[in-house]
Amino acid sequence: MEGSSSQPFDHDQTPSGASKFLCNLPSRGHLSSTVISSNLGGMRIYICEHNTTPPESQLIKTNQQNILIRSLMLNNKKGDSSSKDVKVLAEGPRKRAAERVMDSRASAKKANTQSGSRPEGSSSRATEKDYHSLTVERLRALLKEKGLSPKGKKDELIARLKCVNGGPQKSD
Amino acid sequence: MSVWNYVVTAHKPTNVTHSCVGNFTSPQELNLIIAKCTRIEIHLLTPQGLQPMLDVPIYGRIATLELFRPHGEAQDFLFIATERYKFCVLQWDAETSELITRAMGDVSDRIGRPTDNGQIGIIDPDCRLIGLHLYDGLFKVIPFDNKGQLKEAFNIRLEELQVLDIKFLYGCSKPTIVVLYQDNKDARHVKTYEVALKEKDFVEGPWSQNNLDNGADLLIPVPPPLCGVLIIGEETIVYCSANAFKAIPIRPSITKAYGRVDADGSRYLLGDHAGLLHLLVITHEKEKVTGLKIELLGETSIASTISYLDNAFVYIGSSYGDSQLIKLNLQPDAKGSYVEVLERYVNLGPIVDFCVVDLERQGQGQVVTCSGAYKDGSLRIVRNGIGINEQASVELQGIKGMWSLRSSTDDPFDTFLVVSFISETRILAMNLEDELEETEIEGFNSQVQTLFCHDAVYNQLVQVTSSSVRLVSSISRELRHEWNAPPGYSVNVATANATQVLLATGGGHLVYLEIGDGTLTQVKHVQLEYEISCLDINPIGENSNYSQLAAVGMWTDISVRIFSLPDLNLITKEQLGGEIIPRSVLLCSFEGISYLLCALGDGHLLNFQLNMSSGELTDRKKVSLGTQPITLRTFSSKNTTHVFAASDRPTVIYSSNKKLLYSNVNLKEVSHMCPFNSAAFPDSLAIAKEGELTIGTIDDIQKLHIRSIPLGEHARRICHQEQSRTFAICSLKNQPSADESEMHFIRLLDDQTFEFISTYPLDTFEYGCSILSCSFSDDPNVYYCVGTAYVLPEENEPTKGRILVFIVEDGKLQLIAEKETKGAVYSLSAFNGKLLAAINQKIQLYKWMLREDGTRELQSECGHHGHILALYVQTRGDFIVVGDLMKSISLLIYKHEEGAIEERARDYNANWMSAVEILDDDIYLGAENNFNLFTVRKNSEGATDEERGRLEVVGEYHIGEFVNRFRHGSLVMRLPDSDVGQIPTVIFGTVNGVIGVIASLPHEQYAFLEKLQSNLRKVIKGVGGLSHEQWRSFNNEKKTVEAKNFLDGDLIESFLDLSRGKMEEISKAMSVSVEELSKRVEELTRLH
Repeated sequence: MEGSSSQPFDHDQTPSGASKFLCNLPSRGHLSSTVISSNLGGMRIYICEHNTTPPESQLIKTNQQNILIRSLMLNNKKGDSSSKDVKVLAEGPRKRAAERVMDSRASAKKANTQSGSRPEGSSSRATEKDYHSLTVERLRALLKEKGLSPKGKKDELIARLKCVNGGPQKSD
Repeated sequence: MSVWNYVVTAHKPTNVTHSCVGNFTSPQELNLIIAKCTRIEIHLLTPQGLQPMLDVPIYGRIATLELFRPHGEAQDFLFIATERYKFCVLQWDAETSELITRAMGDVSDRIGRPTDNGQIGIIDPDCRLIGLHLYDGLFKVIPFDNKGQLKEAFNIRLEELQVLDIKFLYGCSKPTIVVLYQDNKDARHVKTYEVALKEKDFVEGPWSQNNLDNGADLLIPVPPPLCGVLIIGEETIVYCSANAFKAIPIRPSITKAYGRVDADGSRYLLGDHAGLLHLLVITHEKEKVTGLKIELLGETSIASTISYLDNAFVYIGSSYGDSQLIKLNLQPDAKGSYVEVLERYVNLGPIVDFCVVDLERQGQGQVVTCSGAYKDGSLRIVRNGIGINEQASVELQGIKGMWSLRSSTDDPFDTFLVVSFISETRILAMNLEDELEETEIEGFNSQVQTLFCHDAVYNQLVQVTSSSVRLVSSISRELRHEWNAPPGYSVNVATANATQVLLATGGGHLVYLEIGDGTLTQVKHVQLEYEISCLDINPIGENSNYSQLAAVGMWTDISVRIFSLPDLNLITKEQLGGEIIPRSVLLCSFEGISYLLCALGDGHLLNFQLNMSSGELTDRKKVSLGTQPITLRTFSSKNTTHVFAASDRPTVIYSSNKKLLYSNVNLKEVSHMCPFNSAAFPDSLAIAKEGELTIGTIDDIQKLHIRSIPLGEHARRICHQEQSRTFAICSLKNQPSADESEMHFIRLLDDQTFEFISTYPLDTFEYGCSILSCSFSDDPNVYYCVGTAYVLPEENEPTKGRILVFIVEDGKLQLIAEKETKGAVYSLSAFNGKLLAAINQKIQLYKWMLREDGTRELQSECGHHGHILALYVQTRGDFIVVGDLMKSISLLIYKHEEGAIEERARDYNANWMSAVEILDDDIYLGAENNFNLFTVRKNSEGATDEERGRLEVVGEYHIGEFVNRFRHGSLVMRLPDSDVGQIPTVIFGTVNGVIGVIASLPHEQYAFLEKLQSNLRKVIKGVGGLSHEQWRSFNNEKKTVEAKNFLDGDLIESFLDLSRGKMEEISKAMSVSVEELSKRVEELTRLH
């Protein structure tokens, strides 16, 4: 807060305090003349006469997709079995309750066809648990998509699905 | 005034908001790039200093400015984002010296609440993405592909709603941001996020840190090898990374700006709110941070940006004071400061208030601004035109011509001043006491008028009279040779240089003589068909003593001709058109370009570019300088040649950027001028004006002259009192000793010396809000009235204030009366011999009453309620125009019979006003806080009360500047008989230090210029692909509408900077000649 030049420095600092930190200031050879001139010519005022529209691909727009919908779609793609997601959910206590509900509901709703093709991060336990949370109808639909028989009890259906998806997951 | 307004900048923004250093113009060149709100400046670092390169107007208010280098590029690109959510990436094309748009786009979102703490724009150090924080709770990402091209942008939800700063971390395998935010309990924390580009989402980052300094406001990312981030608080500085945490306490301060010194990030410069510059050092061992050190270096202007340039030089950009170029010295000076200020770059911002005065009483307006803030507060006197600093003057009537002569050819100084009258010639010379006294040159004929004089080679002087040419020795002063005009003919006009004489006699005879050692030889004689009106043989070719061309102006056919010398062959003949004869011609050369200037008898000036080898005349341009015949003369100032055009409106013609510019000289009427560079008065001019001969020096040749009066405190209101020749200001000073307490003062300044001559301290917590110089009915005295407010920490709005009435006696402020008010007195106006005050939501009228004991007091007469806060008041007759905090403009009327103030009409828009002014009886001008201007019109002819009660919005415009004050007046001298002199103008001052002019044009001229503006939009493109039309469209939270009834003078006047080809393109589209267009635009430039 001291602005007066008469006593601008702290008494507890030695006068040479800053000197040792001020040596070897970077220099690339500019402003090296002994006399720094204040008048090195005038400033040209720029008048832009050429076309300034950017290349067509570089006219940037914002993805208009709603963030919420996008995150739902992403989760859809990623698969509800992503352990990372689970981790984020578990570790993200700051997430709004509403969104947490939304997220879990989303993962609950979708049974993902591609979940098996995404080896990273999904553990079989999670898969099993998730399959249990799905309805029989949903499981049947999933089996149909994979060209498997949709018949049997819920446990049988889950077991059948796991045979297809579970193999590679167990390996990591 | 009228609804058709022309807005033009007289003084460009000088508030430096951003700066950065990088290789922009070439891989080898290092540039400093400075943003001044709506302009960027590109400088080049050279061994000799900072070399200015380019001043680029940007169609937007710059919110962020960053240099970055995409993969595979040899030089840096410039990223600019504007406050209206546009961004562009610029690249410098060294071959064409043009700025190329690499990418641009709109980053606005339809929904979203704009951030409170300003927009943030950052670029990943590994150039994987650009991050923008523009709306609360959203982080926008513009990803780069691996070729450095930008891809579609997307938003990521950011949980933290009160973000203070966001930066990218260095050395992360995935792009990682660090966010400094405040939670709903006002505690501050930092948190990191990785940006998952594929998933378009955040992933929790490597670390976070809770409960930081409550004033933490700034993040500094530390580059590799150390990495991590510095968190700058008000009482502590913290270094934080995944595996280290170091903190040091600092003296309480608010850090406003930082600049990184070393590429490895071990040293930083920090600038605080009081203008103190600190060096922050990260000590480290083997790439492990061991601690932090902070050292005070010294004092600078209060910095808004700091850029370390090179070799211990640092650029300090400031919003509150002058920007500076400083050097960090290894050893402290006597005061213990390591900072040496080498250069100050003038900054008028923020202009909080100003007044227009005519201190020299020449009819030339000057603007005195309250500029700067806190310790960098100052008054600035801004004056247009070139001043002459008078050094000596004598009364001499009827001067017909003046020439200076040297006593020998190699003498660097002039000795004699030859002054010619109608029937005699007098010679003045500097005597030994450095006084000008009359002397004699025996060889000269002093019984007649001299037509021309010049120094000649071989220590000789030439005098041309109507009968002869005399060659005189400058040493013996005796006549050496004489050439006599043929009998029956007299010399009418003549000119000469060191070796040549050209003269014209009646009958169109043109005679060419050459000067030898003691001889005058008639070399050539031709007879032209008409009489000759003027001549010039100023040598501008390679030989500075000998001209190969002669310019001749003619009567009758109104032409100007170029002859070759010595053979007097006609090379070029140019018809001037019209009926006005040329009165003065001049060959001259500016910045390597040769020109022929030709002044006409009616105050017009034509200029042509002259091809020295072919004698061809091209690029004809015509400007109007005055109304009387002009005499042209060259002179030098600071080793550059300029031309002085003496007339009823003296003008200096000079060249900048290879364009001729005309600047007024602040003298009323000059009949003759000649340079007089004597030992006693070096670089002076002798000027003949209004029966006086003056010797004086000339200001720097530039358009606006700014004088600074540093106050060391913050002036907030100013007003001038003609009668006492004083200024009064309301100012505040921060007391550095007592913790943060401010003291407010009313100060009286002499209007010549600008010294404080009297001070009235206000009470504790009392702020000066308004000031006025006025007189009251039935009282001959002139008073200063001051309105104040008691701003108590516990109150939201002031509930108490005072009106103080002072008189200036013996240079002292004497309090005559005081009146307590129920709120802040935001505005005071003189109104019908009474005092009109705006007090919080009320307009109150006070009478000046004489009490029985002979003292005076303010007595409340009537008032008007119905505003949120009546901040700005202007009056005209019985009308009162009020600018409200948030309810736009309303019009009130004072009814004398009833003694009441009533509302007449209002604008129902919700504009948050920053200034109002009355343009004429029906039209009122307003400025609001979204940087727009608008005009409203009183609807007196409305059919219903409802219609009459509505102020109709007639003009709208985005000025892009926060206007703090309008004042009627002009920066230029008003001549009643010039066209421009008839145009009424309003001056405005803004936060960025802009002084601008709003001129009301006749409709015909407005329509013409509107057409010109729309044609210019097609030719002059916005840098970065930004659109001029969008930039000037009125814009606030509620609406965006195209500008109407306002023209952008800055765009229109850039017509004069266009290349000839583009000018012709516009001329074709307009079906008006280039010459006519230039002339009309040139005239407009004389408004400011």
